[in-house]
Amino acid sequence: MPAAPFAERARFDARDKVLGRTQFTADIQLPDMLYAMSVPATIAKGRVRSVAIDEAMKIPGVVRVLTAKDFLAPIPPPRGATGMAAAPAVPTIVPDIAYRGAPVALVLAESIEAAVQGAEAIQATYAPSASFSPLITSEGAAREPSEPVKAGNAAEAMARAATIVEAEYECPAQHHNPIETLSTTAVWSGGRLTIYEATQGAQVVKANAAKSLALDPAIIDVKSSYIGGGFGQKGTAQRQTALVARAAMLTGRPVKLVMPRGQVFHNATFRPLSRHKIRIGADASGKMVAIEYDADHQQSRGGQFPPQYHESQPQMYGVADYDGTTANVRIDTQAPGYMRAPHPHPASFAFEGVVDELAYKLGKDPVAFRLAHDAKVDPVSGHPLSSRFLNECIAQGAERFGWSRRSQAPGSMVLADGTQVGFGVACGAYPAITSANIARLRVSADGSTRFAVSAHEMGQGIRTVIAQALLRQLDIDPAKLDLQIGDTSLVPQHLTAGSWGTASVLPAIDAVAAKMKAAIEELLAGRQIDGNLHRKLATVRRPYIEVEVSTLAPGQEERALLGLRAAGYALAGPEYPAFTTFSYIAHFAEVHVEPRTRRVRVPRVVSIADCGRVVSLRTAVSQVRGGVVWAIGSALREETEVDPRFGGWLNNDLADYVVPVNADIGDIDVSFIDRPDPLLNATGSKGLGEVAMVGAAGAVANAIYHATGRRLRRMPIRIEHLL
Amino acid sequence: MTNYADDEDQAAKVDARQNVSRRSALKGGAALAVLPLTFEGPAEAQPTAPMVAGVAVEPAHSVLLSTSVNGKVVEFRVDARSSLLDFLRERLALTGAKKGCDHGQCGACTVHLDGRRVASCLTLAAKAQGREVITIEGLSDGEGLHPMQQAFIDHDALQCGYCTPGQIMAAVALVNEGNATSKERIREYMSGNICRCGAYVGIVAAIEDAASKMRRA
Amino acid sequence: MQPFTYTMPRTVAEAIAAFRQAGPDASYIAGGTSLYDVMKLDIVRPRHLIDVSAIEGLDAIETGRDQLRFGALARMSAVATDKTLLRDYPVLAESLWKAASQQLRNMATVGGNLLQRTRCLYFRNGTGNPSSVGLYPCNKREPGSGCAAIGGLDRGQAVLGQSDACTAVSPGDWPVALTAMDATVELAGPDGSRAMPIAELYRLPGDTPHLEFMLQPGEIITAIIVPKTPAGRRSTYHKIRDRESYAFALASAAVALDMDGDHVRRAHVALGGVGTRPWRARAAEQLLVGQRLTPESALTAGRAALEGARAGKHNGFKVDLGARTVADALMIAAERSA
Repeated sequence: MPAAPFAERARFDARDKVLGRTQFTADIQLPDMLYAMSVPATIAKGRVRSVAIDEAMKIPGVVRVLTAKDFLAPIPPPRGATGMAAAPAVPTIVPDIAYRGAPVALVLAESIEAAVQGAEAIQATYAPSASFSPLITSEGAAREPSEPVKAGNAAEAMARAATIVEAEYECPAQHHNPIETLSTTAVWSGGRLTIYEATQGAQVVKANAAKSLALDPAIIDVKSSYIGGGFGQKGTAQRQTALVARAAMLTGRPVKLVMPRGQVFHNATFRPLSRHKIRIGADASGKMVAIEYDADHQQSRGGQFPPQYHESQPQMYGVADYDGTTANVRIDTQAPGYMRAPHPHPASFAFEGVVDELAYKLGKDPVAFRLAHDAKVDPVSGHPLSSRFLNECIAQGAERFGWSRRSQAPGSMVLADGTQVGFGVACGAYPAITSANIARLRVSADGSTRFAVSAHEMGQGIRTVIAQALLRQLDIDPAKLDLQIGDTSLVPQHLTAGSWGTASVLPAIDAVAAKMKAAIEELLAGRQIDGNLHRKLATVRRPYIEVEVSTLAPGQEERALLGLRAAGYALAGPEYPAFTTFSYIAHFAEVHVEPRTRRVRVPRVVSIADCGRVVSLRTAVSQVRGGVVWAIGSALREETEVDPRFGGWLNNDLADYVVPVNADIGDIDVSFIDRPDPLLNATGSKGLGEVAMVGAAGAVANAIYHATGRRLRRMPIRIEHLL
Repeated sequence: MTNYADDEDQAAKVDARQNVSRRSALKGGAALAVLPLTFEGPAEAQPTAPMVAGVAVEPAHSVLLSTSVNGKVVEFRVDARSSLLDFLRERLALTGAKKGCDHGQCGACTVHLDGRRVASCLTLAAKAQGREVITIEGLSDGEGLHPMQQAFIDHDALQCGYCTPGQIMAAVALVNEGNATSKERIREYMSGNICRCGAYVGIVAAIEDAASKMRRA
Repeated sequence: MQPFTYTMPRTVAEAIAAFRQAGPDASYIAGGTSLYDVMKLDIVRPRHLIDVSAIEGLDAIETGRDQLRFGALARMSAVATDKTLLRDYPVLAESLWKAASQQLRNMATVGGNLLQRTRCLYFRNGTGNPSSVGLYPCNKREPGSGCAAIGGLDRGQAVLGQSDACTAVSPGDWPVALTAMDATVELAGPDGSRAMPIAELYRLPGDTPHLEFMLQPGEIITAIIVPKTPAGRRSTYHKIRDRESYAFALASAAVALDMDGDHVRRAHVALGGVGTRPWRARAAEQLLVGQRLTPESALTAGRAALEGARAGKHNGFKVDLGARTVADALMIAAERSA
């Protein structure tokens, strides 16, 4: 039976956070610790000829400089490995320079100041490549088709269409820019390597460090208790980890690196530029009947981030005939990767734009047009969609937003001072994915509870969700509840991303709670003892009970747990054996465009989400607001730019990569359908953090069209596009 | 429990293969050779006492700094290049103020200097000579919360929590400056603090709430 | 960052003596928001820092006499909230509170702000330093190395006053407002004290873009003087940027109007964000004299203000945006009561 609605509770870790007590990786202080500073390559492609360290070593406080000579050859991935386990080790310091900013040395010093001065004193010489390909339009860019996604016969259906709209959209390269930069602290002690790192994938880091440093993974522990924003950037293995770990091993001292933001822009992953060519055909009644969608994106020479732009578009509007192609365009850059709503965000910006264009072409209200396209079936797998309340999202959103006050014609809503007003709607979906999980719970007679489970806290509120679910099931003291996550020394850690955290932890909580209840029942053997579990244990003089469980996603096989243990990766969905399921959202945006200087403001957004059962309302609302802020930033501001003569990213700081500030954000009204998915898990909860953003940029762009009559098909939409 | 000698043996083998330092292995003591699947794992690293980093510069390039931090006078010899942020974090182990950009572009390092909010990453530590620094650690007395801290909890004005100390120090200053007069003004005067999680709606609500309480106090 | 000695003199005379003694590698530092920033980027490498911020008596804000006088060490935030300025010279107050963030305005001084370094991306990123990564030629940073911004990503670059050697924008807001309002700066140095109109403080890049200010070695700004004018009340600083706040100007306009009914008696117009120095728009000012101010005449004046503009690859919009910004600023100022 689906779970009842949850009561709201405060964020589990908010008190520590407002007191400044939460310990992030860069906050770790250890006796005898060295400060590291990485030295970035200044060429876009080529080889390091030499690295002179003498001047650096003369600087007071500089202890050692690591160069390529200090690293062993990595261990290749095991034969027959698949998925994340098959990924080659992230390079350490290597002579081959694949992108500007790659590390050529690591300076270790007694202070930050000395480390920085030492890094400035490193003199590297290079043999630059004669040419390199910095842009997808550059000579030498290699186009490489990838997996298509097809349903029915789109060409045939398109031929029958009465109305066709075709357009090309483009989304720029963007960087995550969590305010916490990449940081790693490593300790080598007694034959064990402990890595403290702000990562969404402690197991991923562990597996990669073992490969990069040719170590037995069994001697490595990775701990990531709090992450100062991840957004996908901290989900993959990072370049600096093995460098810092190696430094700790070579010096026998703890080593800490806080990577400067400029280097993070170059060494971390990013959202690649993507292009979206879309045709949608509608029949004579105005029903969408065929979709052809060609997507490609910028890719590094060896990058693996796939161009899966058809991850949620085929399931959006009940169109049976869909033809989606994908391609990588390989150039010289660092590897792109997953950034919040990696594919559905750019895809929905494009797709919802074309849907809007079609609605206007057909003379239909964009809300009514979408409502007329409900879906029951996943056209790709043929499975039923297990829960889908998108139309409820749209209808509720339109009501809250006051959509009925809109007049259809573009440019028809103008304030007294000439400001153009636009209303825009767009929708999104995101796959509901589930990871296998392993959890261990210890309830003690002294009143404490320790719960170790696979999850990482990056601000999405997973600790709050865990506490919420656990406390509903078990009568334990919330004040002494210790949630131990992101720590490979306790239980294997899944890569926490893709909005699967909640749906993956809830089954583990259900299972562990049931096992604990059974163990207590067995212990009490029929005795009735008042009080909470701690009291019961104390009464029978049992210090503690500890239980461990592992859980699988629907239809998942037991061996998935091997992937979890080895590489932090054991995923299923959104296609499960008997059903497909997504989270959905509808966004409504109001924009104001200044008459003369053409600044765009977004005074209010209404967002209604269907993420199944909401477990933690407060953190869920914050997640959606955050997603909307991201989308506003993406739609109007954010783009990382490359000067093709030099490679690398030019606007590599927070003054020039323009993320939204407080003054950019108006009201964001969030609500939820809060109806459980009947099949995904017992609670009926789907994911939220990613879908929160999906479609919101499209809503802003569609509103700008409504305000101005200008259909702008490339993000970011800036002043110069509206003058 | 695993055998101490075995551990040392294995550690030595790893060390030899990797050509790495034995320094901490020798200092360290017992370690665990297998992935511990119980709660008796290795102890957590915790913030240690102040004076973590040393001064690694010639005396002529250092400054003898005497300043009041959270009500306590501290005296340190600091590298003249050191930012107030690095001094607080690495010398005093006051890690509430955060490094997000190190160039005055994000606000995560905000502290109060003589009652005014400043970006500690762009403030030379030497400039704190004879002045009063208040960090997030010194905002409330003991275990109690400042009304702004409570309001941030009540309005969920945070997510990851990394920018939060800076947001709160900026917000308290904003109220004291008399700038909490409208939503628009709060937004403008909080724009020096980037929250990448996007908690701005909650932050504005928290400041409005706390401002009324701070005025009553 | 190179190590440096650090001294904190208490008087102007002590500061100048310290500079003399320290020699050419010395630099004054006040709030530090610009200098310490570029030191972290390894662009400027002083060996001796002379911190002038503790000099006494240099932070006074005097508005009661026949001219406005701002001690060079007055904090930007203090001047921005001065009640007389807010009422009688909003252009000055607005140019300050629309700059940077309150944290930085609490650190930065109104004197130091006049010497803020450019935000040109090629200038800032070019040293291969650990925090800036790139390695780009820049004549301002390394004379003779070339200008990577020309022919590059020049969306933010100047459209007025640029040369073949440099297109970097003068970054300030306050200097633009002061330029519009005919300010004078007072200087003290090894060779005594002097005053100069602010317009003479800023050099055009020409073929020596590394020389930005007309200051002699060891000279220090001690005060800023702004003549009082009835145009002050009908004034504004209008700033257009890539986000609502905490960003440098794409285009900005400082305007002040002396009106006779709905006709302009005298106009002050200067632009920011578009020029290689704070840009006084004399042609626009002359055009406005005697005109009735309407949205159309304001835009005509705005276009005149951008006369002679030359665009690169991506910054052509600044020519149009600059004109529109001036036009909006004129209309905002005109609506204010004298």
